[in-house]
Amino acid sequence: MNKSFFIAIIAILLASNIGAEEGWSNSKTWFGDPDLQGTWTNASLTSLERPDSYETLAVTDQDAKIAIKVSNEFVESVDNPYEEGESPQAGDNVGGYNVAWMDPGTELFKIDGKYRSSILTYPEDGKLPRRYIRWGLEGYGIYKMFAVADHPEERTLGERCLVGFGSSGGPPMLNVLYNNHYQIVQSPGYVMILVEMNHDARIIRLESNHNPNNMKPWLGDSIGTWEGNTLVVRTKNHHPQQKFRAGIRHQILIMEEAEITEKFTRINEKEILYQFEVNDDKAYKDTWRGEMPLRAADGEIYEYACHEGNYAMANILAGARAEERK
Amino acid sequence: MKKIFKIGGISFVLIFGMSAYLSSHHAFTAEFDPNAPINITGKVVKVEWINPHAWVHVEVKEGGKTTVWMVEGGTPNTLIRNGINKKTITPGTVIVVRGYQSKGKLCLPRCIANGRDVTFPDGRKVFMGSSGTGAPRDGSDSRERR
Repeated sequence: MNKSFFIAIIAILLASNIGAEEGWSNSKTWFGDPDLQGTWTNASLTSLERPDSYETLAVTDQDAKIAIKVSNEFVESVDNPYEEGESPQAGDNVGGYNVAWMDPGTELFKIDGKYRSSILTYPEDGKLPRRYIRWGLEGYGIYKMFAVADHPEERTLGERCLVGFGSSGGPPMLNVLYNNHYQIVQSPGYVMILVEMNHDARIIRLESNHNPNNMKPWLGDSIGTWEGNTLVVRTKNHHPQQKFRAGIRHQILIMEEAEITEKFTRINEKEILYQFEVNDDKAYKDTWRGEMPLRAADGEIYEYACHEGNYAMANILAGARAEERK
Repeated sequence: MKKIFKIGGISFVLIFGMSAYLSSHHAFTAEFDPNAPINITGKVVKVEWINPHAWVHVEVKEGGKTTVWMVEGGTPNTLIRNGINKKTITPGTVIVVRGYQSKGKLCLPRCIANGRDVTFPDGRKVFMGSSGTGAPRDGSDSRERR
């Protein structure tokens, strides 16, 4: 054994822990892959795009405290719409339910010890570089999903219990108002990410090729490889009906041809650093990139069995028929 | 070209306007009638802890007539993670529901409404949860459950 051999060994050992925090060593699965398994959450007050009130990506501790205060005040106002004895008024927005049912996070997330104002790291202004003409061209189809209720297939994917609203299941996997949990399970050759809402499973094939371009599954066609301790996932051939992904906190278009790269790096016992890059020149003028921590969550995910209790779909269709009778 | 921009702009506003209604798994505006507000008080007869929405069944007695209302809540996952379960709200508990009736209004087999605000008769919220599941609990959120 010569000197260069030892140098190579040391280099490999160092590379295997790149990205990890000092003093923490990556654990491995029984088959030798870096271990990402567990239940994780990305619930956070930090949203995809940077609110206009912030000028920079990193924000001060003071600004982060203000974000919590503003969020709490907003929640308080939304959750207490009526005075004692007061009734809802005809003609008002029907609203939803008490905010206890929601889980949008309690503070901005931190990376490298700094609070973040947006998930987006590029473009540097923290705004999506949308091609507004493309968004306009998609507008009518999107409008129809909300305005027409002749049969279930016309409604949104969330209402149909197919995939969660927003880009909860991704890629990229973004935080929404609640059910921001993910369970990662690994087996030789595969990584599975169970997305809490709507119980979607992303099955990532390792060291594999993409399926033919005519196959466009829900959540796209994902293949992965390990680069040191980082799982790199490349996804393309997105389902055409999953083009528009919207919630209160983000609205994105992902065209079928978009190419999305995600990186998952376990940086300590309690966190995975999740990074992504979206290349979709039909809907965006530029690449966009983002990152956020996935934090270890206690307990297991309460099963989101959606179809079985989806009374809302029948109520929506009945509502549309009632409107027609007027 | 100017027209394309205009159409694009209008559609963009439309898209964002629509997405503003996406505060939950489905659009409540499609299911409930803004012109049919309700304010009912009754006993809980059943709670369905199911996804995508939990349902609280409430028996309301009014003018000698008994009506059972199904009141739509949110996804139960968050509440269950916060320790709210079947024992928290049991049959016989009296609650006040303020919200809106479904557009269908069939009341077959039960009337349907959303629970925009669900309280005990003394005004306390029935569903007091946290928005902090999984997030660090640093005490800054006064609504956190311990």
